[in-house]
Amino acid sequence: MPQTQAAVAIQPTVRVENPMWQRHVDESTAMTATPPSQFELQVDELLVARAKRGEHAALEAIYRAFEAPVYTLARRMCRTPHDAEDVVQETFLEVVRSIPRFRGEGSFAGWVRRIAASKALQKLRWESARPLADIQADELDGAPEHVVQGHEALAAAPARADLEAALARLSDAARAVIWLHEVEGYSHDEIAALTGKTASFSKSQLARAYARLRVFLGAPAREEPCT
Amino acid sequence: MHLSLEELLAVRDGEAAPATVEHVAACASCTAELTAIAELKTRLAALPVETPPCDLWPAVSEGARSEHRARRLRFSGWVAAGLAAALTLAVGVRGGVEAWREATLARETRALVAESQRLEQTIGEYGRGGRVVNGRTATLIADLEDRIALIDARIGQLNRDRPSQAAIDLWQERVGLLDALASVQTTRVAYVGL
Repeated sequence: MPQTQAAVAIQPTVRVENPMWQRHVDESTAMTATPPSQFELQVDELLVARAKRGEHAALEAIYRAFEAPVYTLARRMCRTPHDAEDVVQETFLEVVRSIPRFRGEGSFAGWVRRIAASKALQKLRWESARPLADIQADELDGAPEHVVQGHEALAAAPARADLEAALARLSDAARAVIWLHEVEGYSHDEIAALTGKTASFSKSQLARAYARLRVFLGAPAREEPCT
Repeated sequence: MHLSLEELLAVRDGEAAPATVEHVAACASCTAELTAIAELKTRLAALPVETPPCDLWPAVSEGARSEHRARRLRFSGWVAAGLAAALTLAVGVRGGVEAWREATLARETRALVAESQRLEQTIGEYGRGGRVVNGRTATLIADLEDRIALIDARIGQLNRDRPSQAAIDLWQERVGLLDALASVQTTRVAYVGL
């Protein structure tokens, strides 16, 4: 029942991108349309109102609608699947705790995403004090449950696995910044506010993340300087 | 020189200087690099959605309920503590006010009793002559003495351990009657003395 209500009350939105730099590059090599963030959902105001009143079914409907986006964000940003599960729980506990104070000034999905990002960053800060060597092997081995759809998805699996592995090899800060900026659409200023660092730090981490990813993925070195 | 990754990203995000943007437009290497970045971004965003390996809602729901219970307990504790504090304060304030009030009444009563004793002493001194008074004065004295006796009877019915406004009212009335009696006696003595 709650899942049916959520399906009706929560619909995906459409994002249109038009980066300025595209005017300066050959259209044949320009990027393809970036898939929208999983958080770009329209949540029915009545559902939020019911959840604000503490209706259990409404809160569960919200959880069902956002569990995958939250877990995906957490899984991309955190070191282990176990950490990602912690982030999901902490995020939704915060949602349940704070939803009475949600004033609707921004989108509900954006509000949930901000909580999730904040919790994931908290987890990273907490885990940063924990050496990678201390993390149990079974925490790292947790195979993610991918939503595989169709033959094309299966064919793309090796490349995807390479990218996931490369992403996992980035530093915590670089991984968090590239995901928040490039996929979730946060600005450097917003990331700075979330992380407590500067926008310059965010920019440099983004550049570093791209550089490292390209190395990990075996991209060819750049040509010699042209001028 | 080619642009750095940070510069290329600034171009992409519309934050670069015009000269930098023009360089990208004219440089195939930088354009290719920018395209590679864009492709990588697309690949990142296209990574599949993942779902938790198990249903976490029961844990979230139970956690929320536990927090709610804990908040209620804390709230109840605060309310109980608040009530206890308020009650203590009320009792304390009431006790304080009561004590102050009783002290005030006792002080006023003592003053009236002292005045009453002083007047009785004065009246006694004037009355010791056994002089003859006229009928009108004798009636007035008798009337005053009867009223004082009534007041004394009422004062005798009061709780002497606890001062009260009623006692003060009676003692004030007694002092007034004694004062009147003293005046009558004084006048009589003065008249007789003439």
